[in-house]
Amino acid sequence: MESDYDYDYEYDDDAFPESDEDMASGDDYEFDAHAEVQTAAKRAPYIIYDEAELRERQQKAVDDVAGVLSVDKGDVVRVLREYKWDASRLQEEWFTDTDAVRDKAGLMDRTQPASSSGKDQCKICFDDYNVKEMRSAACNHRFCRACWKGYIGAKVAEGPAVLGLRCPLPNCRAAVPQSIITEVASDTDLKKYSSFALRSFVEDNRQLTWCPSPGCENAVEVKADVGGEPMDVACKCGAAFCFQCTEEAHRPVDCATVHRWILKNSAESENLNWILAHTKQCPKCKRPIEKNQGCMHMTCSQCRFEFCWLCQGSWAEHGERTGGFYNCNRYEVGKKKGDYDEESLKREQAKNALERYMHYYQRWAENDRARLSALDAMNTMIEKRLEEISEMTATPTSQLKFLSDAWAQVVDCRRILKWTYAYGYYRFAESAQAQTSAHSSTAADALRQQQEFFEFNQGQAEYFLEKLHGMAEKQVGSFLDGGEPVEGWAKFRENLIGLTDVTRVHFHKLVSELERGLDTILDVYDNSAGQEHGDVQGPSAPQPAAAKKKAPRPSKKPRGAGSSQVASSKGPSQDELETVAGIWQCAHCTLANTLSRADCSACGNARGSRP
Amino acid sequence: MQGMDQASLLLRKQLKELTKRPVDGFSAGLVDDSNLFEWQITIMGPPDTLYEGGFFNATLSFPSDYPQSPPTCRFTSEMWHPNVYADGRVCISILHNPGDDPHGYEKAAERWSPVHTVETIMISIISMLSSPNDESPANIDAAKQWREDREGFKRKVARVVRKSQEML
Repeated sequence: MESDYDYDYEYDDDAFPESDEDMASGDDYEFDAHAEVQTAAKRAPYIIYDEAELRERQQKAVDDVAGVLSVDKGDVVRVLREYKWDASRLQEEWFTDTDAVRDKAGLMDRTQPASSSGKDQCKICFDDYNVKEMRSAACNHRFCRACWKGYIGAKVAEGPAVLGLRCPLPNCRAAVPQSIITEVASDTDLKKYSSFALRSFVEDNRQLTWCPSPGCENAVEVKADVGGEPMDVACKCGAAFCFQCTEEAHRPVDCATVHRWILKNSAESENLNWILAHTKQCPKCKRPIEKNQGCMHMTCSQCRFEFCWLCQGSWAEHGERTGGFYNCNRYEVGKKKGDYDEESLKREQAKNALERYMHYYQRWAENDRARLSALDAMNTMIEKRLEEISEMTATPTSQLKFLSDAWAQVVDCRRILKWTYAYGYYRFAESAQAQTSAHSSTAADALRQQQEFFEFNQGQAEYFLEKLHGMAEKQVGSFLDGGEPVEGWAKFRENLIGLTDVTRVHFHKLVSELERGLDTILDVYDNSAGQEHGDVQGPSAPQPAAAKKKAPRPSKKPRGAGSSQVASSKGPSQDELETVAGIWQCAHCTLANTLSRADCSACGNARGSRP
Repeated sequence: MQGMDQASLLLRKQLKELTKRPVDGFSAGLVDDSNLFEWQITIMGPPDTLYEGGFFNATLSFPSDYPQSPPTCRFTSEMWHPNVYADGRVCISILHNPGDDPHGYEKAAERWSPVHTVETIMISIISMLSSPNDESPANIDAAKQWREDREGFKRKVARVVRKSQEML
């Protein structure tokens, strides 16, 4: 495993290393399986805060800036809010033009010291008060406390704009200091104000967002600028969501595709498509009619118009002469002339588009359901059955973590798999069109190739996931109800850990390939197919001769970047595949075959033979 | 009912002040002596404007949380002006709640603030009569005529001025 993190080493022609070498550091192996449960979570650091922690975090943000600018903390909150909590931009502008920043936020110096004696008239209620009883912002426009209270109450009721509260006097831009608000506002108003302040910290701040899960009040802070990239984060409440769009986590699919897909699933357009594909309009009243049985003699249930289903002419012109109830000569003649071509083509297209969508949607929805049920099963297992298993196998619960790891892997992979269907639907829309129109071009060919490749990887990943899901679900169950002897537990444990790891590797591969775009993949595989150590993946197409060259593998990623656990060098060995997944991989075409086959079902070469 | 009390006190104070020291350009009183929240105003058409010589009646209705929220003003005399709706309601920015403006404080000075009084409101309305704002018209027909057919606009205003005099 010495070259685990090295992408630049040269590949040996001697394709498969001894598997025991891979397994030599068994401890290592196990450790990885545990550490890598969150298969696809991008490793940009993020922090989850509950409300108390969030307030602490806000306080710290204020303190940090207050230290640098050496200004009163209340004022810092004002300017930070003005700058959407972007401390570096604020500091930059502050040191360029302090006055401009202060003016923008309504901060000003007291021009004269607040006198503490004498009387003044409140400009709102026109009553006279002792100056001591009155309050003013830095502008020295004094108002009585009752009027302040009313003013602040009215502004709080208007919403978060109260955070930028200014002196009540028109034309006066002075910011009302926090101290006045704290002093005079009623408890309810103060509570609202403070919740506005916290919301502003999260909602205005580009690096923070609320957890979208209903009832969860946690916030997430991402420590690095992730740009517009989708980024999966997992909240403490269990929700996994995308930091960018706050939809559920959907890596490797981008936010725009997810948005389109969700919109499409909720839109009516598919209903219309169905109507178009399966109905014809009544020639008279234009209502859509579905013909589900019977002869061609139709009677519209709405307007009672009688017509022929095929040619859509009035039934009065039909009879024995035109072919009877099950045929229509007029239609046959018209069809030969091409009269109905356009209409039937349109219907055909709508049907195809609908079927295509249904294909992807069903798989998307199926995986979603599977994910939810896996999540459920995982929680039940952890909460209810862990003790039982621990007792049965005489192992401490701490040693049973591999079970929840396996389940977590299933949940995670179900989600990824689900989104790859949304990806496939949009990514290969053109290829589907090209197929129907039968036009062939190099671009379409390339796309088709990519699609095959994508679907192959998707299929491989799905295969292992199904296997893992079944193993975690059924086999544990049969241990519990005595169907399998406890002696097999150690073996089972080893297998499940292995399969969890194999599945993770496959999904990691799928994710990183989709993220890089499939274009680069074809190149990579043209150059290095079959040379990767123990790699089960690769296009099913035969390898080009060039693959034999000792070329360094083109690598888009810098060495040791981010997630250094890249799948390629950590793929499962042949032995692992056989014992854990129950397959063997053909060394000629890389196809995964079931153990019962002695030769490859794709290329016919014998098992164990080398090219 | 503390807000109500504050509003009544403040309105009573302003009414007393205006009776003692009337302000040029308008006169003010209550519609019904038992209700401090409905005021009857007569506005003199400002000199050197199209409205000169007119006596226009209007009502000011105050909300219970005045002065935190603005009153509404409505002409009861016939009026022809880009910033007055066909039903007589006056549309000027200082009578809008700041909450209507999602951006908040961009033009804070032009919006409602609790320091406004009957006097400052009437001064704003009188200044509106002398210089209509056709950027955000309430009466589109009047605004269009003001922009495109000034003569026609003048004739129409002259008619409402004459009518207001006949009502005296």
